[in-house]
Amino acid sequence: MTRKKPESWPQSTRRAFLQDTSLALIGLAGGGVPGVSWAVNGDTLHIRNYQDLTSLDSVTSLSAAEGIISAAINQNLLRFKPDGTWDTKLDAAESFEQIDATHYAFRLKPGQVFSNGYGEMTADDVKFSFERMVDPAMNAINRPDMGPLSHVEVHDRYSGTFVLHTPYAAFIPVAVAGPSGEILSRRAVTAAGGRFTTDPPCSSGPYLLKSWQAQRKTVLARNPQWAGRKSAFEEIHVYAMPDPKTAEMAFEAGELDSAWISVETVAPFKQEMPDNSSIRVLPSGRNYWLGMNQENPALADIRIRRAIQYAIDVEAVVEAAWFGLAKVSAGPIPEGMTGHRDSALIPPRGDPEKARQLLAEAQVKLPLRLRLDVNNDALELTAVQVMQWSLRKVGIEVEIDAQDNSTFLTIGREDMGDQWRDVQLFMQSFTGLADPYYSLTWFTSAQLGLWNWERFSNEEFDRLSDLALATTVEAERNRMYHRMQDLMEESGCYRFVTNSVMPQIYRNTIKPAFRADGYAMLRDIRPADTRT
Amino acid sequence: MFAFIIRRGLLSLLILFLAVSLLFGMIHMVPGDPATVMLGPKATPELKAEYSRRMGLDRPLVIQLGRFYAGLARGDLGVDPFSERNVVNIVWEQLPYTMMLVLAAIGGASLLGIPLGCFSAIRRNSLLDRLTAVMSVAFIAIPSFVVALYLLLWLAVKWRWFPAMGAGESGNFSDQAYHLVLPAIALGLGWVGYIARLVRASMLEVMEENHIRTARAFGLSERTIILHYALRIALLPTVTILGLGIGSMLSGALFAEIVFSRPGIGKLLYDAVLTRNYPIVMGSVLVTTGFFVLSTLAADVINAFLDPRLREQRGS
Repeated sequence: MTRKKPESWPQSTRRAFLQDTSLALIGLAGGGVPGVSWAVNGDTLHIRNYQDLTSLDSVTSLSAAEGIISAAINQNLLRFKPDGTWDTKLDAAESFEQIDATHYAFRLKPGQVFSNGYGEMTADDVKFSFERMVDPAMNAINRPDMGPLSHVEVHDRYSGTFVLHTPYAAFIPVAVAGPSGEILSRRAVTAAGGRFTTDPPCSSGPYLLKSWQAQRKTVLARNPQWAGRKSAFEEIHVYAMPDPKTAEMAFEAGELDSAWISVETVAPFKQEMPDNSSIRVLPSGRNYWLGMNQENPALADIRIRRAIQYAIDVEAVVEAAWFGLAKVSAGPIPEGMTGHRDSALIPPRGDPEKARQLLAEAQVKLPLRLRLDVNNDALELTAVQVMQWSLRKVGIEVEIDAQDNSTFLTIGREDMGDQWRDVQLFMQSFTGLADPYYSLTWFTSAQLGLWNWERFSNEEFDRLSDLALATTVEAERNRMYHRMQDLMEESGCYRFVTNSVMPQIYRNTIKPAFRADGYAMLRDIRPADTRT
Repeated sequence: MFAFIIRRGLLSLLILFLAVSLLFGMIHMVPGDPATVMLGPKATPELKAEYSRRMGLDRPLVIQLGRFYAGLARGDLGVDPFSERNVVNIVWEQLPYTMMLVLAAIGGASLLGIPLGCFSAIRRNSLLDRLTAVMSVAFIAIPSFVVALYLLLWLAVKWRWFPAMGAGESGNFSDQAYHLVLPAIALGLGWVGYIARLVRASMLEVMEENHIRTARAFGLSERTIILHYALRIALLPTVTILGLGIGSMLSGALFAEIVFSRPGIGKLLYDAVLTRNYPIVMGSVLVTTGFFVLSTLAADVINAFLDPRLREQRGS
């Protein structure tokens, strides 16, 4: 038997190495390294959205994330000015005027065309768009935005009149200029079966929906039929990025032109700003407060609730949780809106001595032990921890119970069982709209067991809530909303914290545009070298 | 072999049924109301009730489960009541992203880990073996999310060699592969060390066995002995572990999908659990559990294929 010559472990010869390397280089050169779609290439805007779309139909749209996109592809009769206020200007309408308390007349600009061959926008499309919102058969989620809208009368191809059952002060900012007032084509929507979600059958705005990729991005493309000022970008890529940290990294990596960032990142970014970038800290429409359930036995005595109000140092809360970027609020109505109060009845820093005095008057045995429910969110947890520290100083021991958002949103609901009775303190937040009624409507008696977890019930408040919505005299509304917020504070059920902020970072190569609540207005963003 | 696959397949179906039923019960027992979360404060109680009805939440849990399986038998996982889209479509369009990520991660880890482990065993106690040991333990010890963040910071943010977010343009394979590099490394790096240690240990054991000595006595080359005899047997436990690894990577893929803002089943499931969107939760759970069961089944079958003894033992 002959022994085979042992083979060595595979070895690479110099020639083999050169061959392999050459082949690899040829492969790379031929195939090319794929290019990354870096931002700021002039024709394409890359921007973050805080969540993915669910529906672009005004009947079923759920959040501002959808409003950001639908406002770029659709038109309203009126729209908000891109100057950070809630002021409106004409959009699809050539004219819009209030005739009396329950009638509003409009006239469309002629020649506005729906995409996909659905023809010119007419007054009948306006009628269709608004009446489907109040049609009981549609079961529209956003039905409340329309208030007491009865119907729309069409006079001719371009003009018509809105008819309301009763006066509705929020009609223009909420119903007409808001996402619920977007004008759709009757013919297109009817052909699509009467409703749609992420595949609008047509649109009439400066951009068209080119594609939507679930959990990835929405691509908008310039509408070639748009009759107004030419859209600034060939395409806008809107990325669904729920995590702000990921968005911040993507911005630093140069892949985004604009992004809503977290409050804790503002200071580090300002110290070491990414290239050619700026930050604007905008007011937010989100209002935060500490609520107290007055029907819980531990908080039934108003003196205890008042003591809690006085014990909490809101300035310290805002400084710690919002890094000093936000202002202490005096109520749910944000700055710049009718009804906003400049100061609350209780001083921002509180008054621990007065709190102790109130607890003594109520003959409370200290330490008083209470539970505070909160959404499991880093910002809110920081805020309640500072409150816990404030309350401990006056002899109130607070146990923080953090719950995920879905569980938290049920704690005060009567239809979820008797758990609402056990609710004591909770940190809550709501996002407002363009009218003050929306900031206060959650605290009426009708909302008991729904969103009014404080169980606050006051006849004067309920009456003013209705009256303020029915008058359009600004001074009157201002006075009523001031009084309503006074009543809330006097009840001891609320300690207002802040109306929060929305920090936005953007490249200096663009001229950003934001709404009064900090959200981007895509159709108004333009390259920085554009003359306004 | 066929009988073995059939038997293992039926057992896998039973496991899938039990796991999905258990998860169904657990998910529905967590407090929370999807209608409130998704519809927000504007929704009236009637509208919330309507959405709950659409999800079948107005019926007892057993009936809900029965309806789920009845739908499944027809290939229908229901409709997401909020987007009004078919759940099968929603899950199906996310699945390829997670599959690509997991396969790239486990594939890359195997391509690196198996040769490293093999080489360490052959050059036992050499400098390279010790170096590999230290690196393997380091790879295993570093949490994947830390790797992900540093990869992102250095390779995407600082040097801009790789993209920081997304999954690449649809239909552009090279772009998608390019976007896959960092997440796959982040997800698979720990497995490189794990596989290398496992292969090394198995190889050392196999190389001591009689049939290897006999092969040497017959004068076969070391290369033939290692590649054709030793490695084939040494890979058996690795294949089993890889099967389980693919399953566990499905859950690990979530962090990569969030950090790199990639679409995928992990992110879909996470968002659906947060909003209690039960139809999507169940669709995603079914797919991930099915994938896990399938990967362990595949590992068993491959093991049986590689080692006829197992086939015979299990067949008897």
